[in-house]
Amino acid sequence: MDYSKEPHGVFFLIDNKSFYASVEATMRGLNPLKELLVVMSEADNTNGGLVLATSPMAKKIFHLQANVSRQRNLPQDPRLIVVPPRMNLYIKRNLQINNIFREFAAECDVWPYSIDESIIDMTKSWRLFGDSPRAVARLIQKTVRHRLGLYTTVGIGDNPVQAKIALDIYAKHDPELLGEIHYETVPEKIWTIANMTDVWSIAKRTEKRLNRLGIHNMRELALTNPFYLKQELGLIGEQIFAIAWGIDRTRLADNIAPKSHSIGNSQVLPRDYFDKNEIETVIKEMGQQVASRLRHHHKQTSCLYLSVTYAYAARVEGERGGFSVAGNLNYTDNDQEISELLTYLFESQWQGQPVRNLAVYSSKLISKTAQQLDFFTPVKQQCQEEDKLAIIDEIRSRYGFQSLVYANSLLKGGTAIHRATLVGGHNGGNAYE
Amino acid sequence: MNSDFRIIIQRIEKYFTRRRDTEYYLQVVNDQYDETYNFFINIRPRNQRMHSIPLHTVENYRLSYLEKLINKIMEQYQFSITYDGFVGLRWPMNQELIQKRRHKDE
Repeated sequence: MDYSKEPHGVFFLIDNKSFYASVEATMRGLNPLKELLVVMSEADNTNGGLVLATSPMAKKIFHLQANVSRQRNLPQDPRLIVVPPRMNLYIKRNLQINNIFREFAAECDVWPYSIDESIIDMTKSWRLFGDSPRAVARLIQKTVRHRLGLYTTVGIGDNPVQAKIALDIYAKHDPELLGEIHYETVPEKIWTIANMTDVWSIAKRTEKRLNRLGIHNMRELALTNPFYLKQELGLIGEQIFAIAWGIDRTRLADNIAPKSHSIGNSQVLPRDYFDKNEIETVIKEMGQQVASRLRHHHKQTSCLYLSVTYAYAARVEGERGGFSVAGNLNYTDNDQEISELLTYLFESQWQGQPVRNLAVYSSKLISKTAQQLDFFTPVKQQCQEEDKLAIIDEIRSRYGFQSLVYANSLLKGGTAIHRATLVGGHNGGNAYE
Repeated sequence: MNSDFRIIIQRIEKYFTRRRDTEYYLQVVNDQYDETYNFFINIRPRNQRMHSIPLHTVENYRLSYLEKLINKIMEQYQFSITYDGFVGLRWPMNQELIQKRRHKDE
């Protein structure tokens, strides 16, 4: 294989070891690697509690899976510490960590990838800090540990995908928490991975499809005819073939313009909802939330999408598990118009099943530059309606969402008031911006 | 002082439900990374998991302030308090060691 024309750089993919659990451990003056600690969300839609993060030692001793196990799988052991999540604190820590990374690379070369992972392009700056990329990675680890008390794992590669695989497969089990893959070591490092689903972007479904083609490990994947893969799997076939050879031609600095934006929200309800009014209360609330977020981003929508998933009990009876409908309307960011269409969409499909999940998305967005008037309502009334919403938004941004709520949120079944304080469905923050 | 005190007392009231067979104690951590004092209430029913609930983060990073704050809390509640991250430090007023020895996981 001739790699000479592939992009060569020095990329670090840095992740925080059991991020939420480690942050909570340092807040309590404990060592993140030694403590038996789990972060458990006990929001009222988690059915008793959902484990969001587990410290490395707790995983080892109680054989817990990495994330999102249930409260009932957690042993009642007096050594175990259970703590509630604080999403805002984790976001703050993530920003602090990325600021440390920016001391080692230019601002434009640090790319946050998720709440606890970042990609750093060290190509231009690693020589300033050490003799080898490995030594620099070590220095970054020590700096983060010294300043914030957190342990980081670093994957090193000649391109981002090599760094990612080095992190996922090697760094997490390495005593120094470092892993390295280069073009020269691709056959020994990537082809030897026994379990294909361990590789980034290959999950169970893709594995199944590959098995059907007679491909059972990374080596077989790399030695398969790429045209055959493309014919069978499409674009993804090409992509995973490139991954098997450790090839990644991404230029992180390229600005990717999404073809279309959408704004939406989804939620799991705290219990099964049977009553039409209750379900519609939540749908209206979600419509209002989406409308509020549209206004915050100065956008208008002309297409709404509602997805309803039935309760677990209704699902196993062999019927369909829910429905998704979309509907068009004139460009708007108005609470009432959006809620009305959503209610209509819901009533057109719902036949009395108990409901557990709801999702509302708005798409086909345009930037709002002016207010579109229509012929059928007095102009004054339309302007007043617009002003009213602007005032609601302003009051809420100044005094918090709860300062002004629609009365329907106080009805039985409404979830908006409680959810306003959650971030990503867990403790902490404002979700209406 | 008053706002820190009020927040801590309010939250203790919320979580200190006086259930039987349950151990309640406060944990105060000297957070050297953020330069804050973190307060937690730890609740452990007998033979069960411990719940550790954050009460407050005190931004005023002075031991004399912390001492006054804790004395004020102790006027209302006689919780036992464990201290972490204070090894070698003494209370400024009565000159006693805050934390006698390092805990095993510190």
